[in-house]
Amino acid sequence: MKQHPNCTDCEQGPDVMNMPVPTELKREWAAIETRRQFLGRSGKVLGWAGLASLLGETAFIGDARGADAKGQPAKQARDGFASPHFAPKAKRAIYLFMSGGPPQIDLLDYKPNLAALYDKDIPASVRGAQQLTGMTSGQARFPIAPSHWAFKQYGNTGTWVSDLLPYTGKMVDDLTIIKSTNTDAINHEPAIMLMNTGNMNAGKPCLGSWLSFGLGSMNDNLPTFMVLQTKVNPKENNQPVSSRLWGSGYLPSQYAGVGLRSSGEPVLYLTDPNGVDREVRRKMLDAVEQINQQTLAELGDPETNARIAQYEMAYRMQMSVPELVDLSKEPQSTWDLYGEDAKEPGSFAYNCLLARRMAERGVRFTQIYKRGWDVHDNVTVTLPTLCAETDRACYALVTDLKRRGLLDDTLVIWAGEFGRTVYSQGGLTPQNYGRDHHPRCFTTWMTGGGARPGVTYGETDEYSYNVVKDPVPVRDFNATVLRCLGFDHNKFTYKFQGLEQKLTGPAPASVVEGLLA
Amino acid sequence: MKLVAPTSAGKARRLLPTNPATRRAGLAALITIMALLSLPFIVRLDGSPHGNWQQFFGRFHPLVVHLPIGLILLVPLLEVLGRRRPALREAARFVLGLAFAACLAAVTLGYLLARGSGTSGATITLHLWGGTMLSICVLLSLLTRPAWTAGDAPRIYPALLACTVLALIWTAHQGGSLTYGNGYLTEFAPGPLRRLSATGVAQVPTRFQDSFYSMHIFPVLNANCVSCHGSHEVKGGLRLDSYELLMRGGSDGAVIIPGQPDRSILFARITLPTDDKHFMPSGGRPKLKPNEVTWIKAWIQQGASPSAVSLTGVSVASDSERPKELPLKPVGDYSAMMPEIRQMEQSQGAKLVPISSNPSDGLVLTTVDVAAKFGDAQLAQFQKFAPYIVEAELGRTAVTNASFDTLSKFTSLRALHLEGTAVTGDGLAKLAPLSQLTYLNLSGTNVTSAALAPLKAMKNLHHVYLFNTPAQPASASDAR
Repeated sequence: MKQHPNCTDCEQGPDVMNMPVPTELKREWAAIETRRQFLGRSGKVLGWAGLASLLGETAFIGDARGADAKGQPAKQARDGFASPHFAPKAKRAIYLFMSGGPPQIDLLDYKPNLAALYDKDIPASVRGAQQLTGMTSGQARFPIAPSHWAFKQYGNTGTWVSDLLPYTGKMVDDLTIIKSTNTDAINHEPAIMLMNTGNMNAGKPCLGSWLSFGLGSMNDNLPTFMVLQTKVNPKENNQPVSSRLWGSGYLPSQYAGVGLRSSGEPVLYLTDPNGVDREVRRKMLDAVEQINQQTLAELGDPETNARIAQYEMAYRMQMSVPELVDLSKEPQSTWDLYGEDAKEPGSFAYNCLLARRMAERGVRFTQIYKRGWDVHDNVTVTLPTLCAETDRACYALVTDLKRRGLLDDTLVIWAGEFGRTVYSQGGLTPQNYGRDHHPRCFTTWMTGGGARPGVTYGETDEYSYNVVKDPVPVRDFNATVLRCLGFDHNKFTYKFQGLEQKLTGPAPASVVEGLLA
Repeated sequence: MKLVAPTSAGKARRLLPTNPATRRAGLAALITIMALLSLPFIVRLDGSPHGNWQQFFGRFHPLVVHLPIGLILLVPLLEVLGRRRPALREAARFVLGLAFAACLAAVTLGYLLARGSGTSGATITLHLWGGTMLSICVLLSLLTRPAWTAGDAPRIYPALLACTVLALIWTAHQGGSLTYGNGYLTEFAPGPLRRLSATGVAQVPTRFQDSFYSMHIFPVLNANCVSCHGSHEVKGGLRLDSYELLMRGGSDGAVIIPGQPDRSILFARITLPTDDKHFMPSGGRPKLKPNEVTWIKAWIQQGASPSAVSLTGVSVASDSERPKELPLKPVGDYSAMMPEIRQMEQSQGAKLVPISSNPSDGLVLTTVDVAAKFGDAQLAQFQKFAPYIVEAELGRTAVTNASFDTLSKFTSLRALHLEGTAVTGDGLAKLAPLSQLTYLNLSGTNVTSAALAPLKAMKNLHHVYLFNTPAQPASASDAR
């Protein structure tokens, strides 16, 4: 059917390629096929050519800024951001995420004066007009619960550390402890999203995806960003975590984190089924790729590219993952350091060991989730378990990286999504207490590439309730992490929905120089 | 000839004032000069502040002082241009008169400022005398100008004017140093220029070598405080450029009370809110870093001793104790070689990853994908990119001692990973030309302590990792 090139009310849409327009425009047209398809599907009633020009070139597909000004989003998505803005101190990072909100008062934020205030009410002036969670807002009293555990000074820095964390105490001279981290959210879901993606609403890329997008891969056989979940201890109060926390949001999906399972096979269906050998698998993948390439040629959707890349990655992971999780060649010194726990797949110690092995194999970002820190009650029973599960493993990981020469260019981060209240949730007895969510201050630490060792940054008031010195909001925390890895958080953007999107969000964020080496 | 070149006696006679009016003017000028010269001896800068009103007016000095500067610089311009346009030369006399009046005003306000704020010191004395001499030069120029216009003394007035301008430049520089601190002008000057003008602010104390005071307190004070509280300028009678002067305090008494940081004025002033008018460092200078404040507090708390080497509870892992990081030496731009680099990556499977988007930061050679197949021959292939490779990740590859020959050509290398390889250390001496190398990982190899000996000569090599080797040190930490 011969049609007029400018006809919009027809089956195929205008034939731009035959129109007397600059080649530049034609190339752009070819790149925005997705939009054509999208609108084509919605019934062609919108006068879509006009709409598309109104919305601009990146209305429906993202666009990495600065990569190529000629409007080739598909290419940018494939190649990533290329490289950091400046020479980074750290080439990779390991993020130990303590999901649930560890109680800073019982771990690292030493408040000796609280003992004298046992069961006294926290002054209303300290709480201010803060809106509490539904779990404690109805309480008649807010009795102060001093920490059940004694603290000791460790290292040359004389840092006070709870008796619950004897191993952490041994490495305080290497840590950058931040007592003044604070967040805007008081409940798990928004707080954990904010910490990971810089936004309380789901759907934004997380730190790992940003880094994987920005740093690129060093190892073609393993994903750039890997997520390890720790096996759940049913005696702890476990809050759900799911793939939205390591999702790539508006970034192309090959930058999403790839999770290893905590029990059974690390990756489902990774081993070929009986009767299917590697050659058959290869043929099948080649055939699937051909079909996908056709779809790509037809639609130009970057997600098709991501899918092709992921199939290939999975094929290579069939070889690399078994090697990665094969711990039989680890020397005895490893087990002496991490403890026997590390032999049990899915334990936190095992995951820490895997994280070290991934660092050696060029994985850029490994995030280990440890759930169960949500100690609303029964602190004196649950907290020792949590610390026993994690304390030694954290120390082992840092020490192992250090002795193997990896800590120079690996940033290790330890953080939860918020802190916990000084006052007791539920009944306070000399033997036990509970602690509710507390966003105004919580303690985190980092060490390794780019972080200044032996520093305790920020101060909280005598109730560990408000930050009194050097506050570090989540966005500043993330900006600082980005800096360690070579990125200027203000320039590290991705154009989506007409905005220069960035990890730290639209509110001004600043790098905390005091944390940097 | 005789008419055009008068005898010196005749010149002198004509220069001497003959009519009573000129003589009176000369007398008045003489008295003014004497007054100006004796003023510093009458109004002494004793280092203690006086009267608020003096400071109020005194603070207009930095404003008013620009008036004579502009006027004085205008005079030579008018005189030169006046050769073509006589009207300009006529204006020069008026401008010169005005400049003198402005000089007197600036000098007066300057005295008020210095006396009012209680400032004293070498720079301010120089600035004071500079201002005085400058005023006198302007006055003398004013007096000798009529003779010059009459054609009687063609050299004296221009010479005086030149002196005036030189005195102006010198005095203005001293004033600038007072306001912005010594070395403000040359701080960011190109290297050679900076060395020419190098004058250390204060010397590192030698008596208390390695004490906490010399290593941590003195450098902080030197960098942040001594420009106003040092030998050049002594605000509030306080000098911080030596331990004795620091402990002696200023015109308000001691600034440090050992054991009591909260009662020590110095600590109080540096911890005020930055918008407090007593906050130090004043004048919009940046506040001390948190760790520096912590050091000062702990040091006062624990007795403010000049010789104590360490303090309990204070991180000694400070910048000055850690090995100094080398400034990264830029490598050449490899952008033009990108097609060649891509081709090499494809044929060898190893990658050359840019450190950053700035090409001069160099490339990292990563071999993790092909480690088992990457041997000496493959490494040799990358030699042509050696000038751009700042880090070589050869961990767990098949390279052997034979590669040290190749590696000796990688002179841009800052980090070299050889962990888990078959190298035994034979040939480590060949790494000597790698002057930029700071990191060497030999973990999990068979190197012995004997083979490591040649590394001792490499001054920049701060991190050598020997975990799981025969050479592993007994202690857990194996960083050098």
